This record gives sequence, C-alpha cells and structure tokens, in this order.
Amino acid sequence: MERFNPIVVFMYFALTSGIAMLCMNPIMQTIALVGAALLFLIRRAGRRGGHLPMLAFALLACVINPIFSHNGATVLFFVNGNPFTLEAVIYGAVCGVMLLAMLYWFRSFSALMTSDKILYLLGRISPKIALTVSMALRYVPLFSAQMRKTAQAQRAMGAIRADDSLSRIRGGARVFSVTLTWALENGIVTADAMEARGYGEGRRTSFAIYRFHRRDAALTAVILLLGGGIYYGVFGGFAAYQYYPIVTVRQDTAALLTYGAYALLTALPSTIEAGEIIRWKYLQSKI
Amino acid sequence: MEILTVKNLSFRYAMNEAPTLKDLSFSVSEGEWVVICGATGSGKSTLLRLLKRELAPVGEMQGEILFDGRPLESLPVRRSAQEIGYVMQQPEQQIVTDKVWHELAFGPENMGVPSGEIRRRVAEMASYFGMEELFLRDTGSLSGGQKQLLNLASVMVTGPSVLLLDEPTAQLDPIAAADFIATLDKLRRELSLTIVLIEHRLEEVLPLCDRLLVLENGSLLTYAPPKQAVAALAGREALLLSMPCAVRLYHELPPSSETGEPPLDIREGRAFLRENYRNGTASLPEETKRAEKEKALSFDHVCFRYEKSGKDILSDLSFHVSQGECFCILGGNGAGKSTALSVAAGLLKPYGGTVRLFGKKWKAYASEAPYGRELAYLPQDVTVAFSRNTVREELVGFGVATEAFPYDLTPLLDRHPYDLSGGERQLTALAMVTAKNPRVILLDEPTKGLDAHAKAAVIGVLRALRDRGAAVVCVTHDVEFAAELADRVALFFRGELISTDTPRRFFSGNRFYTTPVSRMTRGFFGNAVTVDDAVRLCLANGRREGAR
Repeated sequence: MERFNPIVVFMYFALTSGIAMLCMNPIMQTIALVGAALLFLIRRAGRRGGHLPMLAFALLACVINPIFSHNGATVLFFVNGNPFTLEAVIYGAVCGVMLLAMLYWFRSFSALMTSDKILYLLGRISPKIALTVSMALRYVPLFSAQMRKTAQAQRAMGAIRADDSLSRIRGGARVFSVTLTWALENGIVTADAMEARGYGEGRRTSFAIYRFHRRDAALTAVILLLGGGIYYGVFGGFAAYQYYPIVTVRQDTAALLTYGAYALLTALPSTIEAGEIIRWKYLQSKI
Repeated sequence: MEILTVKNLSFRYAMNEAPTLKDLSFSVSEGEWVVICGATGSGKSTLLRLLKRELAPVGEMQGEILFDGRPLESLPVRRSAQEIGYVMQQPEQQIVTDKVWHELAFGPENMGVPSGEIRRRVAEMASYFGMEELFLRDTGSLSGGQKQLLNLASVMVTGPSVLLLDEPTAQLDPIAAADFIATLDKLRRELSLTIVLIEHRLEEVLPLCDRLLVLENGSLLTYAPPKQAVAALAGREALLLSMPCAVRLYHELPPSSETGEPPLDIREGRAFLRENYRNGTASLPEETKRAEKEKALSFDHVCFRYEKSGKDILSDLSFHVSQGECFCILGGNGAGKSTALSVAAGLLKPYGGTVRLFGKKWKAYASEAPYGRELAYLPQDVTVAFSRNTVREELVGFGVATEAFPYDLTPLLDRHPYDLSGGERQLTALAMVTAKNPRVILLDEPTKGLDAHAKAAVIGVLRALRDRGAAVVCVTHDVEFAAELADRVALFFRGELISTDTPRRFFSGNRFYTTPVSRMTRGFFGNAVTVDDAVRLCLANGRREGAR
C-alpha cells in the first residue's frame, strides 16, 4: 500500500470506515472487522502487541449497553427489576465490533500515512497551511532542544541549582523566556533566508514527491466502483436491519451483493499487501 | 564580462552617525571568485547584503550597484531572487522546511515553477550534490556540514549566476569546511559561477580564489589577485592574523628586496623556506618538563554509552589534568570528545570507571556542589549560557569583577548577549563561568566561528586563567589553537586517548593530523608547529648565501 499515492490511500480509508460508521448492520460490521484485522496482521503495523486493551474495550461495550438499554423481546434475566435482553447484548457486541474495526483501521492508517503524506494532502487543499505546518514540525523539536541545552548549561554554570526548588523555578522561567527570545532571533534569520529565496514574490506552486501512476488510477477506479455500489446498497435499503424488538437482517440477493461488495472492498488492501509478499517470495526463489 | 559593478558605494545605518562603508568601487567579472576579508565590524556583511536586494539593510546608501550592466534595484523581483543566491553563516537557521526534498523545492515553489519542472531540478540537484541518500530525511537529523551543503544546493536549484556567501564554513568542523570549499570550487569550474565569499579562515580559500577584497573600517584597502593583495598587507597585524601560515611567516620575517612574491599555500611556503633560509639548527630545544602539580581532574578507566544496547562512546578512557595546565583534546567528528567533556562536567554518568575532581570522586559530591566554584563548563554553542537581557545583568548575576577579567568587557555592557559577535559572546561567557575562580574549566570548541583576532583574545584569557592555577581542558578541532595554547595535547580516537604529548612533540610526530606550519616545514625543520616557531628557527639559522 505504501507505493500508492496518498490521495488514493486516504480516499480508501475514508470510504471504508465511513460505510462502517453509517451502517450498523451486524454482517457489514463483522466484514469490516475481519478486513481491518487482516490488514493489520499482514502489515503488523506498529508494534506486535496492543490487541488486548482493544479487545477489552470492545467487551466492555458488550456488557455496558444492556445495563443501560432495556429494549428487546428476549429477556435473559432481571437485574434490580430491569430486564437484561439478548437484543441489547447483540447491539452492544456489534458496537464493540465497530470500535475494534475502527481502531484497527486507524492503526494501519497512521502507519501508512506518515506526517509528510498528510502534509501532502493538506498541500492539495491549502499550500500556505501546509508550509506553515511543515515549518512548525521543524521548529518545535528545535525549540525544545534549545531549551533543554540552555537549562543544562545554566546548571553546569551554577546559575540553576537542581537541589533548590526556588532556584529551579526561577531558573526555569528565565530559560523559557530566553529560549523565546532565541526563537524570535532565529525566526528573523529564517525569514531573511526565505525572502532571499524568493518567498512572497508571487504565486507559489506546491511541489510533492508523490506522483499519480497508472496503478493509482486503477485502484481508484476499483474503490469508486465498489464504494458506489455499497453506498447505493446501504442508502437504497438493501442492507436494512433492526435490533429491537428482535434482531432481523435482510438476506436476499440484493443484500448479499452489497455484503459481497463490502467484503471485496475491505479485503482489497490485505490482498495487495499479500500479493506483494508473495511476489517477493517468488522473485527471491528465482534468484 | 563584468557581472557585478560597485561604483562609489557608501552606506550609513539609520541609527549610526558614522558611515559603515565608505566610497567603495570595484567590479567582479563572470566566473570570478572573490574573497572578502577584514576585521569584525569592517563592514563585510553590510557590503554583501547590499549586493542582495532582498536582504539589503535599512539605511542611507550612496553610489551605484550594477548587476549585469543595469542597476540592481531596477531588476525584476523574480530575476533578482533567482539570479543572486545567498548563503548565511548558521546552517540551522536558514533551513525552512522539515524535509530535505521540500527544502530543495522551496525556492522553485516560490517562483511558481510548475511541478514537473521542480521534480527535474530537485532530482538534478540531489544527484549533483550527492544527496540522494538524504532526500527523504528530516532536515533536523542532518549534520552541520550536510545542512550547509543542503543550503547551498537549495540556493543553486534556482540557477543563480552569482553566489554570495557570508562565512558559510564558520560553524563547520575542518573536514566539512574543506568539503564545502571544494564544492564551491567545483561549481565555479563547472558552471562558471561567480562567487563572492566572506571568510576568516583563509588557509584553504586563498590559494583557490581569483581576487581578494580587503576592507578596513569600511574602506577598500586593496582589491587584487591574492599575491598582490597579500603583499599590500605588510605591517597590518590584525589583518595578517587571518592569513594562511605561509603568508604570516613571510610577513613576520625581516623584509628583503630579494624574497620575491609571498607564498600562499603549503607548497609555495616550503619552496620559499628552501630558497631563502638555511636549516643548520633544525629544531627548537624541548621545553623542560614542568613540575607535576596536584591532579585537578582525573579519568580512571571510564566507560560510557548512551543506550544499553548501543556501542561504547568512551571505552576505558584514562587521563588526568593537573592544576595550572592547559590540556587540549583533538579528534574527529562524532568521536565522543564532547561526550567525554560532559562526563567530566558530571552531566552524564559513566557506567564504569571513576571520574575524580581533586582526588574526590564525582559521586562523593553533593549533587550541585562543584558547579561554579570547583568546576565551570561551557558548551559548544555559548548562546545557551545567556539568560538575561544585557551583558551587564549577566555579569552582575554571576558576580563578575570586570576589572579582574583579563579582557576589557566594558564596551559590551549594555548590549543584548545575542547581539554580540561570536568572539565577544565567547569572552563574555568565559567571564561569567570563571567569576567564582573555578579550579577546573571545561570548554567545548571555544574557537568555533571566531575570527583570528577573537581567537587570540580567547587564548590570552585562557592563558591568564591557567597562570592563576586553573586547569583548562579544551575539546577542539582547531589544531593551530591547540598548538598555541596547550601544555599537553591528546588525540581522541574510538573512545580513548591516544598519544598524549606536548604540542611540539605531538604535532611534529603526526604527519596528517597536524598544524599547517608543521606540514610546511616537515623535513626542513624538525619541530616547528606554530608560525612563531618557524620564525624563530628561520632567524636562528639566517638567510641562505646567495639566496635569490
């Protein structure tokens, strides 16, 4: 997925998770979770662990909903005279599934969309904001590093005593204010350097290292086709569902087509990733 | 063809009485490399900024500046930004964006160049400057030398025909500086780029440049090819200080009608010595060993690493420094010299071995006790030493007795520390940290970015502190500084100190890592490492009979 243009990647995630948020259909939600988890596992996005807290969170939703919601026809038992219904449990479980799917989507998304890719998207909308953010991304670490160095130097000069809290507070305030001065001084030089390189003399263009290749166009077409079909299905009522009083889900051909399309859409990135892995294995075995 | 012409240029800053530049006239031809030199405050930077319209200072200007035959101010905005490139001293402050590729694209973006064209130019620049590996990196993660090359590349990307540079190598270590100068030379040769460079380290640049422009108090002292310009400097001590060692040697020896043109580099310097002087007495007598005094600072098998799984930065480092001694640690970049100094200052804790101050372990001190009275530490970038609005407040805050300090700080008292020149900053910071008469002074690169005059002042101050009995430890790249100041010099390599010796023995023993004078006199004299040494030996030997 890294090889695709960030716009395509962003569009994919927006569309896929958008559908999952709009349609609480239990079958659709299960499909979303399977797709999201598959992509996450294949990419092993970020660190390996971290599943347990997410699972616990989903389980919590499962239990909490029936405590507060007493709708539904199938009463399992009573708590303090309030009915605890199967339907409420199912609804809670689907909510949990949705949360879990969202978390997985988001973790893959943030691993794929690094800061410069987000900046690129921003640059499409407003080059000025993108430049400001880019400069801020550079300045913030610079500022904190300077503050740390100043504090350390002041300590080694005996101007701040780490064992005296009053001196530490006073010194800290002084360090902060002098670092601000430093940042302003720096800003003046940077502004000079920007002007020397022609900033602010006319219309800017916004350059990015990402290009739009044929494969991006192909993926866009597939995503739009599937996505359009699914949205038509969802808003056309083909994937209708209800939880209360009893759980019912449409299962005719039109509904199955919608589910199928969503399954294809959610499986798309994992298929691409798996394809890449297999292709590399194959290439390696030939070499 | 003349690309830059300056006619009767005078300039006065709005808030000043006296003019900063007085009636300058000169012209630069296409493809020429001009080096501007002069003392601090002689108007070098003002002149250079006037040549770049976007950066021209506010004030009253008389005279004319012509670019390519037409007045600079009549140049269209875009052409002015594009044709005249400007690189400043601080590598960090000129970088605008967070990614290397974005930095390269910044100039063309401003000029509204279409995306496809930018892609090509950026790729071209990255290839030419050998930055492909760095292309996707964060600009903050580059080394100083890489940052400055990036600044150069991102100015070159718009295709300027004139490049103005204001001390671009002052903040770089010698190897990165030589790299940078070599790149400039390549640009000049391959693209016939016109270069105007302000520089105070002339050892490498002078033999390469076409003309030297010397400013003195805002007036043009001389503007000529280096040999002639240098010959005109006789008797001007302050200006000669920044010249290459061959030139200094030439001027310090008694003048004679027969010596011919001044030598500029090591090779010519050798020829000059061979032709004009005898070498019957080849070596200076070794200085007698000083009586060992009390050990002020000692490292005993000290080991340090930043991370548990990282590699050792200091491995079994052992050395000591006595009271009343100047100890200089030399070594390559990233070797860990600065880390060693931070460990000595107690800012980093070693995982093995012991560091002692006056025989007492660091650990035995109450955490903050030694700072100020026992030990003073100045980091590489002395701006971090300042936290108040004027020099006076700083000095009062630290209880500095200005009269006792071996350098006159009174003219600086009412200025903001950030407005001082590099040398003044270093000296002020030195006055602050030494106010309580610490017995150990630790300095990280105290001569970085200083001109020859300020360097001489720093050497004077440090000598005075040493003579009062302080132990002075410097970590430095500057071999000439070490040769002049140190009582003992050591080479830091792979986490330990190798070959500790007196400067004369240390430098005359090394073949590459040594002072220019030592390289110039190798094989002719035995142990000359400073210009003074060489002058003494020349005078002791006398001139060759029948010298040309």
